Amino acid sequence: MTTLSQAVRPGTAPDQPADAAEAPVRGLWRQGLVVFCENRLALVGLGLFVLLAGICFLGPLFYHTDQVHTDLTAVHLAPGEQGNPLGTDGVGYDQLGRLMLGGQTSIIVGLAAGILATALGTLWGAVAGFVGGWADSAMMRVVDAMMSIPSLFLFMLLAAIVTPSVSMLILIIGAFAWLGPARLVRGEALTLRSREYVQAMRAMGGTGGRAVRRHIVPNAIGTVIVNATFQVADAILYVAYLSFLGLGVPPPAANWGGMLSDGLADTYSGHWWLLYPPGIAIILIVLAFNFIGDGLRDAFEVRLRRR
Amino acid sequence: MSESTDPTVRHSSTAGQPAAAQPLLELRDLDTDIALRRGTVHALDGVNLEVMPGETLGVVGESGSGKTMTALSIMGLLPPGGRVSGGQILFEGRDLRSLPADEVRRIRGVRMGMVFQDPLTSLNPTMRIGVQVAEPLRVHERVGRAEARERAIEILRRVGMPRPDRIVDNYPHELSGGMRQRVAIAMALVCSPRLLIADEPTTALDVTTQRQILELIDDLREEFGMAVILVTHDLGVIAGRADRVAVMYAGRVVETAATEQLFRSPRHRYTEALMEALPESAIRESGEHSRLYSIPGLPPDLSRPMAGCRFAPRCRHVTDECRTTDVALSIGEHRHACLHPVPAAPATLPPRVRVEPAPEPADSTAGADQPAATPVLSVQALVKNYAAHGRGLLRRSAGQVSAVAGVSFEVGPGETFGLVGESGCGKSTVGRLAVGLERPTAGQILLDGTDIASLTGRERRRMHRQVQLMFQDSYAAMNPRMRVDAILAEPLEIQKVGDGAARRARIATLLDQVGLSRRVLERYPHEFSGGQLQRIGLARSLALQPRLIVGDEPVSALDVSIQAQVLNLMRDLQRELGLAYVFISHDLSVVDYMADRIGVMYLGKLVEVGPARDVVRAARHPYTQALIDAVPSITPNAATARDGVTIRGELPSALNPPTGCRFRTRCPLAQEICATEPPLAGNGHQVACHFPLRPESSKASARAGAAA
Amino acid sequence: MVRYLITRLGQALIVVVLVTVIAFLILHLLPGGAARATLGKEATLEQLAAFNHEMGYDRPWIQQYGMYVQRLLHGDLGYSYQLNQSVVEAISQRLPKTMVLSLLSTLLAIVLAIPLGVIQAVRRNRWPDYTITSLSLLAYATPIFFMGLMMIILFSQIWPILPPEAPQGFTVAEVLADPAGLVLPTVTLAIVTIAVYSRYVRSAMVDNLNENYVRTARSKGLSERRVVLRHTLRNGLFPVITLLGMYLPALFSGALVVESLFNFPGMGQLFWQAALKRDFPILLGVTVIISIATVVGALIADLLYAAVDPRVRLRGSAS
Repeated sequence: MTTLSQAVRPGTAPDQPADAAEAPVRGLWRQGLVVFCENRLALVGLGLFVLLAGICFLGPLFYHTDQVHTDLTAVHLAPGEQGNPLGTDGVGYDQLGRLMLGGQTSIIVGLAAGILATALGTLWGAVAGFVGGWADSAMMRVVDAMMSIPSLFLFMLLAAIVTPSVSMLILIIGAFAWLGPARLVRGEALTLRSREYVQAMRAMGGTGGRAVRRHIVPNAIGTVIVNATFQVADAILYVAYLSFLGLGVPPPAANWGGMLSDGLADTYSGHWWLLYPPGIAIILIVLAFNFIGDGLRDAFEVRLRRR
Repeated sequence: MSESTDPTVRHSSTAGQPAAAQPLLELRDLDTDIALRRGTVHALDGVNLEVMPGETLGVVGESGSGKTMTALSIMGLLPPGGRVSGGQILFEGRDLRSLPADEVRRIRGVRMGMVFQDPLTSLNPTMRIGVQVAEPLRVHERVGRAEARERAIEILRRVGMPRPDRIVDNYPHELSGGMRQRVAIAMALVCSPRLLIADEPTTALDVTTQRQILELIDDLREEFGMAVILVTHDLGVIAGRADRVAVMYAGRVVETAATEQLFRSPRHRYTEALMEALPESAIRESGEHSRLYSIPGLPPDLSRPMAGCRFAPRCRHVTDECRTTDVALSIGEHRHACLHPVPAAPATLPPRVRVEPAPEPADSTAGADQPAATPVLSVQALVKNYAAHGRGLLRRSAGQVSAVAGVSFEVGPGETFGLVGESGCGKSTVGRLAVGLERPTAGQILLDGTDIASLTGRERRRMHRQVQLMFQDSYAAMNPRMRVDAILAEPLEIQKVGDGAARRARIATLLDQVGLSRRVLERYPHEFSGGQLQRIGLARSLALQPRLIVGDEPVSALDVSIQAQVLNLMRDLQRELGLAYVFISHDLSVVDYMADRIGVMYLGKLVEVGPARDVVRAARHPYTQALIDAVPSITPNAATARDGVTIRGELPSALNPPTGCRFRTRCPLAQEICATEPPLAGNGHQVACHFPLRPESSKASARAGAAA
Repeated sequence: MVRYLITRLGQALIVVVLVTVIAFLILHLLPGGAARATLGKEATLEQLAAFNHEMGYDRPWIQQYGMYVQRLLHGDLGYSYQLNQSVVEAISQRLPKTMVLSLLSTLLAIVLAIPLGVIQAVRRNRWPDYTITSLSLLAYATPIFFMGLMMIILFSQIWPILPPEAPQGFTVAEVLADPAGLVLPTVTLAIVTIAVYSRYVRSAMVDNLNENYVRTARSKGLSERRVVLRHTLRNGLFPVITLLGMYLPALFSGALVVESLFNFPGMGQLFWQAALKRDFPILLGVTVIISIATVVGALIADLLYAAVDPRVRLRGSAS
């Protein structure tokens, strides 16, 4: 079976993409990266995250402070006093060093809880979406039920029963924040399952397993990753709320939410350096993850790139 | 031959025009730009058009030609980023571009009306019909609520709406597509405009409904004494309806003439090529259809600067001059912008026009005449019902949708069986059943004599090698995250054919067969145009060397010139590889061109089956005849000359289909006996009708008799 | 429509039952259970056993759950020894005040979010859109209590026009008698809601403005104002009704924080104090009641949507 001559197939040669010459052949991830980088806010978000994470995790290597022993002789020092660039708090911890330490907790808990929630939700939603029928209805009613319990109430109920620690915080938030991703993934699975390219594959004799492996998972993964970034942002906020409500990690461990809540008590005493730095840090990191998520959403949307 | 003097002289619109007739609308050197994320598309470039009072101007072109942008520019309804950047829009002598916005809005609402393509989305879903129709009256004429309602009912009656006094209180989704389009027309006409712009008004509708709507627009034009601009991609629609035609290509008008003149003697090389690319111009009485002319390549990218004739890169008569000289429309009645025009034809009809009844057909086509071989596909008494039920936990069966109701046909090796019918007739379901995507409720599907229901596991998987499906929208049928090499390798992987190297070799062969270069392998579906995607889809269907390909509307989404490329390719491959096709389409002229035998479906039933030329030229079922009569043809005024079986009313619901002959509720010949179901009777040319329009032609039955 | 109503009611009922199961499981399946949590770490095994026996916690779970549901159906949510009053009584004192706060802030949010969202959609990708979008994101990223504190600093300290504490009245009427005190909690709770709602209105409006029917409306020569107000706004706002229902859990979570910050004597504050004191009857009772409120709220929103939007209303009756 050899090729027919060009004469029989007019239009073969010019029938390439009009811009084939200029547009270099690029992988889908590369194309996505280009789209992501075109979103200025996404780049800002990524930059913010790298900056904050860098300060928190690398900062202590260069800026040594004692975050274990209280120093009641150096309480509530204003920024600049006795070599504390951001002052000290009510028990004498250096505020800048504490911000770094607290940031580590906030970022670790946020990332871990966000990823845990996404993983759990993806599993649950995928099973419900694929199995369908009765199991799907039952599984989704469970999600409905848990979703109708306002999340903070749920977290506090749990936090009141168990003693919060960093890992327990991750578990609690992760164990109840998976509902959103579960719904999302189930919906995605249902729509992808009925796509024409899955039908085309079935018409070739392909099995359900192949549909999941080659078609549904690769197409759903973008949605999942995008959602994970929003989950991380939410988890960081949840940690802050739990700390504010008095159920955060106990000292000497620290996190931005806890520092901010402690700072609330100092509102009237004028110790502004205890209030604003952790507050702004939380806002920045949450914004960063939201920007990254928006950028990723565009990057994963193949159709946006269709001519 | 007064036309075509010096085509390079830019036409000035007042010169050579009889002073008496003042155009209702005149476009002078209209430029429209659309700003996109990357660069600006120059959608219109120096468009000149005139519309006289009371005349119908047809604007025809392929997608991207600027025909819709012309309409939207006139109406001031350009999409976000769109802007008229130069020229004049003179309406009743006044330039709309220089008038204040309020004034233009009033003109748009009162003096002009527009009907859009998609009746399903063009009406506000949450507003009652009457309120929507009467809204221009309320706004522009300050008419009171009660009077507005009365006038809405009145205008709905005039567009042929049954029970208009009740329809006014309905919501759009309670009406069928054709009815909604009538509402849209009523809305455009409620202030008695001087100009009606209809942008692809029937493209989303079935042919029989299309005919009703086009006739309605014609009647209303006379009744209201208004001018009509009919924008369409379908040359046939224009040929039957317009007084004058403007052909557009790549943002320019390339030719305008009186309709009869243009279709008898097209001058621009693009117009000529477009007409030759139509399947109906390649159909020969002998049965061996000639090859379609396919315009090579793709239309130009309008966001880049261009010099010379825009059709030059795809033109077979191109010279160096064409590529550099900017050609303007010539002066006269028949204007064109071509340096090497088609010589003007004498004033007689060319032989291209097809003759009506079928003469003695020669026994030449494949397949149909070799019934001795085992059919590749044999469908016997196929039934498919879908349960229609409510959602949620308290499911209660609300009856059954009868999608396919006892369909039988056979497809021989190397044969093309065309399955034609309007939307909802069940033709796609038959296709999906044939490839095993769905299981029939009853009946048998035999592939090479084997009942596929009896197959299990491995055998069932191997069965899929024999028969492949080709989709209408190849983009949707390809995983957007897979590269073309992975897409083409997938069938081979699923069927475990060969090793990596063998698969790569096979893919290379496939690309050669469908005429694509190796470079496509590293690309993703979203990087291709519609025609290229359809080639890739065809290559994928061929990967397993099937004996039968079921094409579900494989060319319906493509422009005429691209459609010709794909149809030619399909026929070439059939000849080379001995493929059989089931070609499913709503477009009778495409099926006529492609098929050896045709089956006509109506509401889940096969009403007529026979050799293609017999079915199309000597239809026996009234529905088939109505379908044929409704298909617009480029032979001007052919529509009026036909014997005219017109069907009225709406397609009944498949949830509760009529008993007996399912067509009897709309059939002009229906009698009491039609309440009993007519069998599909006949030898070679079968029909399921108690009152067939004509007896089976002696030749057809003789052939079938000889075969049996 | 009737079938939809029955289906939706059935779903809601199942969800409520599941909520009680979940709440029950949380309390009883965790290590140590309610006894350990109530009596503290120092309690002896005997004390625990006595407590469990007294509360019926030593019986099989199914039986315990049965008893729990039976009490629930009789309106008995248990007794709080720490407050020395029945849970139902404590909740019924607090619930109306939380409802007042939620309702006021939701109303405020709707009144502000709709015009903001419309402006964004009409002026999309221009400065009003960018400004409002940035502010919304900022509001969303700020912990509510930090936002509340900023409000207090701004309006009670720097520019002292409003009291920093919510009204302390015992009844709803007393709370309403001090409107100045209600301002800061209501506004604080509303800000995040406004951010969420206006994003939603914006995208609904943008979707609708891209619909073909809008082009048809313009072709009738309607003014842009009429196109937006008569055509797109109606269609865009119908789905917002369901958002009101979906947003309830987040609203109540927000109320919990705001009540704690402003010392507003509502359900949230009750719950917060109970959590700090490990008062489990209250915790469980509030959780169940607030969840039922969410389910009922979402149900009402869905049914309302189905009743007013002709697209849903008629599809429901046809199928």
